[in-house]
Amino acid sequence: MQSGQRLEAARPPSHLRCFGEPRRRSHGTLASAARKARATRVMPALALFVTAIAVVGAQDITLPNAADSLKVAIIGDSGTGSSSQNRVAERLMAVRQKFPYEFVLMMGDNLYGGSSPADFAKKFENPYKPLLDSGLKFYATLGNHDNPNERYYKGFNMKGERYYTFKPKGNVRFFSLDSNYMDKPQLEWLEKELAASGSDWKICFFHHPIYSSGGTHGSDMQLREQLEPLFLKYGVDAVFSGHEHFYERIKPQKGIYYFISGGAAKLREGDVERSELTAKAFDTGYHFMLVEFGKDTLHFQVISDQAKTVDSGSLPRFSDEDKKKFATTPSAR
Amino acid sequence: MTVHYICVLLLALVAQPPVNPDAKVLSDFKDRVDQYVEVRKKADDAAPPLKKTDDPADIRMAQQGLAERIRAARAGAKRGDIFTPEITAHFRRLLRPEAREPGTKALIKDDNPGAIPFKVNAQYPEKEPLSTVPPNVLASLPKLPKDIEYRFVDKHLILRDARANLIIDFIPNAIS
Repeated sequence: MQSGQRLEAARPPSHLRCFGEPRRRSHGTLASAARKARATRVMPALALFVTAIAVVGAQDITLPNAADSLKVAIIGDSGTGSSSQNRVAERLMAVRQKFPYEFVLMMGDNLYGGSSPADFAKKFENPYKPLLDSGLKFYATLGNHDNPNERYYKGFNMKGERYYTFKPKGNVRFFSLDSNYMDKPQLEWLEKELAASGSDWKICFFHHPIYSSGGTHGSDMQLREQLEPLFLKYGVDAVFSGHEHFYERIKPQKGIYYFISGGAAKLREGDVERSELTAKAFDTGYHFMLVEFGKDTLHFQVISDQAKTVDSGSLPRFSDEDKKKFATTPSAR
Repeated sequence: MTVHYICVLLLALVAQPPVNPDAKVLSDFKDRVDQYVEVRKKADDAAPPLKKTDDPADIRMAQQGLAERIRAARAGAKRGDIFTPEITAHFRRLLRPEAREPGTKALIKDDNPGAIPFKVNAQYPEKEPLSTVPPNVLASLPKLPKDIEYRFVDKHLILRDARANLIIDFIPNAIS
């Protein structure tokens, strides 16, 4: 009895306790290290990190993992501070041992229910602490649950702006948009930046999907009316969004690949109403994405919180000629 | 001679271009928003500007400090200071056709915090989501200075200071 009480007292906060005993038992030395770190309460983040490696280290990576590619992880609707967020965070950390992604894109709703310092700690800094401590960068976009002043937070790398662009390396440029408030200045900025971009890959990410089979939200048609013509005119290759609490890969629309990844901490089970848009969907568990940009191919793998690969593949980049042809075809709903 | 002058005067009056009443209302709206921006500028100047930071407490402090200074400067602020009855009527006219566009109301409702209490010169409720404002609605409304924005709370259109998280004014039941 006394022993049990001691154990209970030694446990770290609930949001750091995500894995059960059976899993720890099956991984000798690392599991012991994790237990020790927990028991001493000295370094809860270290405990989380070690546990993550111990439990999920066996994740199979289907991506090429080429030396000269750009490797990215993607999480969406992550800022709950819940055990689900922590579980996905652990998978994310563990998988980096095998697939050394260079940064993380956040699809918005980075902080649900407020943006106090405690919210930042509970919903971002603590869950991803080992990644942040290792110097990994996160690039955020704003969701409808985010305070726009999050743009000033260095951890989100938004350059103090609601919308921004960056080119991490090689031939890929990213454009982060504020889909909550797509006003004329933002559209003008996007057009200018897209026009000036000489990159081979043009990747946009923002919170609200313009193609979606979600029963709760669905495609944001007003946003599509504004954005799609620019995407087509300037040859955007792929678009990543969140908002919908599931994963969906949309069939290519006019030469553009669309992904929805909004289930890194929230889940709307059974919400995908599979439609002619759907190439693949997953709405029965939490997930995150890994993406690898090769010279002319986008490789992706979607991993659930249960460490299962729920979607993966390689998508060739459409040529400029193909895109011109697609631009005249009518849109799906 | 006097008759001649009267005729010239009358001709000059007739020749004047007609004043567009909408333009007058919009100009009035712009002036009122500009006055608010002046207040904010003074509030901004009273403290170091918010810079990118590793510490979320800095962001919070800057936001709250700015809000407090603006609130103090606008101590008597009330509904209608910016959205006068004329401006309100004009905005409702602008919003009516946009709200009829398929999907627009659904989008406004989608992320809307619903019927929550709020008031002029007070903080926007911090734990509540911010409604998405559809691009067609934004395109129909007058352009605003940086970090001043339109949002919806239930059916009400609010004018919000994004940096101070402050409600500047609102139009009740702007969309029906």
